[in-house]
Amino acid sequence: MTANAAPAPLLEGLEIGYVYPGQNPTRALEGLSLEVKEGEFLAVLGPVGCGKTTLLRIFAGFLRPTSGAVRCAGAPIEGPGWQRGYVLQEEAIFPWMTVRENLEFGLRAKGLEPAARQAVSEELLRLIGLSSFADSYPKDLSAGMSKMVEVARVLATDPAILLLDEPFGALDAQTRARMQDALADLWEKRRKTVLFVTHDAEEALYLADRIVVLSQRPGRVKAQFAVELARPRSLETRFSPAFLDLKRKIWEATA
Amino acid sequence: MMAIRIRRAAFALLAVFLLYGAAAQLLRDRLPDRVWLGAHYVENVKLLPTWRALAEEGAYLIQSDLLLQSAAVSARRVLLGLALGSVVGLFFGLFSGWVARFEYLADPWVTLFRFTPALALLPLYVIWFGFGETSKVLLIATNVAVVTLLGAHQGVRSVPRVYLEAAASLGASRSLAFRRVVLPLAFPAIFASLRIAVGLAWVTIVVAELIDARMPSLGYLLALSGAYPRVPTMLIALATVGALVLGCDALALALHARATSWMRRAP
Repeated sequence: MTANAAPAPLLEGLEIGYVYPGQNPTRALEGLSLEVKEGEFLAVLGPVGCGKTTLLRIFAGFLRPTSGAVRCAGAPIEGPGWQRGYVLQEEAIFPWMTVRENLEFGLRAKGLEPAARQAVSEELLRLIGLSSFADSYPKDLSAGMSKMVEVARVLATDPAILLLDEPFGALDAQTRARMQDALADLWEKRRKTVLFVTHDAEEALYLADRIVVLSQRPGRVKAQFAVELARPRSLETRFSPAFLDLKRKIWEATA
Repeated sequence: MMAIRIRRAAFALLAVFLLYGAAAQLLRDRLPDRVWLGAHYVENVKLLPTWRALAEEGAYLIQSDLLLQSAAVSARRVLLGLALGSVVGLFFGLFSGWVARFEYLADPWVTLFRFTPALALLPLYVIWFGFGETSKVLLIATNVAVVTLLGAHQGVRSVPRVYLEAAASLGASRSLAFRRVVLPLAFPAIFASLRIAVGLAWVTIVVAELIDARMPSLGYLLALSGAYPRVPTMLIALATVGALVLGCDALALALHARATSWMRRAP
């Protein structure tokens, strides 16, 4: 993809449907179409249980859609891979590895030499401000810090897109805001394509270029909003008229 | 932490020693001193030998080199059996935990062996492998293999899905995920099974040596002292087995603490 071409959809889902099998099959998604353009930060917003995680797991390659198609950079998604850096909703930092080993895991999987791995991990550590924790175990990190390590860990392999599943869902409001700033900062520096799933309208607004609102189960696209707020965003952004106006519109759309 | 543990263990052992000594002194003249042994009475048996009697017997056993030789022979059998059994058990346990298809094939066999008392295999092993070392070592190895197989299998199966998915998302191959994700997470379960296996190995060897009794061995020392009977010898032999099990276990615990320093623990 050349820099001067119009942003092509990097990740696309066409008419995705997903049914969890079982005695009472659950329709999680139905006829959901979505595309994420190169370099875009897209937030998918929806209530708990609307199939957000299912959608992300389909894009990550852990679930096969029951109907419809999913493609990444034009190729159908067949299974998990480092090209789509997936950060799970649950805490998935490896507690038996140091922070540095966590960051270098994907590079080890790629077969990089220790020196090359270390160069990348040093830079990521600096980027998330955890250089002094390089050789600590995750038990010594706070929940917010370990989530940032997880985000940095998928960044290490330089994937085409980040898939983030409510990364800050388990944090308190203040830490959450701090982590959002850290993520926004990281995004400013790396300009990765991001698909971010959340149930928090304010979080979506603060971080994203575009917001897709999902309906209740079975999830489908209910509304879309372009977020044209200047970056870098700050506390001021959160209380600006444009922000609050959009927030109201989103609330009305989800109600 | 370690120092406190050792201090408490030493205190507990000392307390039991002292209590025993006091009881033996108090009851010295009150307990019957003859016992009915098979076809006749044996006179002049001290049911609870005093400290003094134990010390004399201990000195004799050590000076005559009987105790150390016996302990060395039994320990060698235990270690050989442990090494052989745990290699086989861990290999199959890890394999059956990781490769689901193999699990269904292996499961009935594991269950069958799991509930067969290993000592029940002794007559069979004696016929197959003779009275010598082989049958004893293999008997321990069988026992150890079953326990460690179950531990390793359980350890692999209890690895949380999130870690495997995170690894797959980071591009890890099956073999990298196994080495760097499954093994460290399965380690505590593997380790717990090894600790059980160590205890079981000592139980097995002592009983196996009771049946096919030859000198020197701790099992035979026990059998012989029962035949005379010599209670002090018995107590010393029992204490030796106990001390060896304790030693093995302490060593195992220290290794475990080192290997799992990454875990969150209550202080």
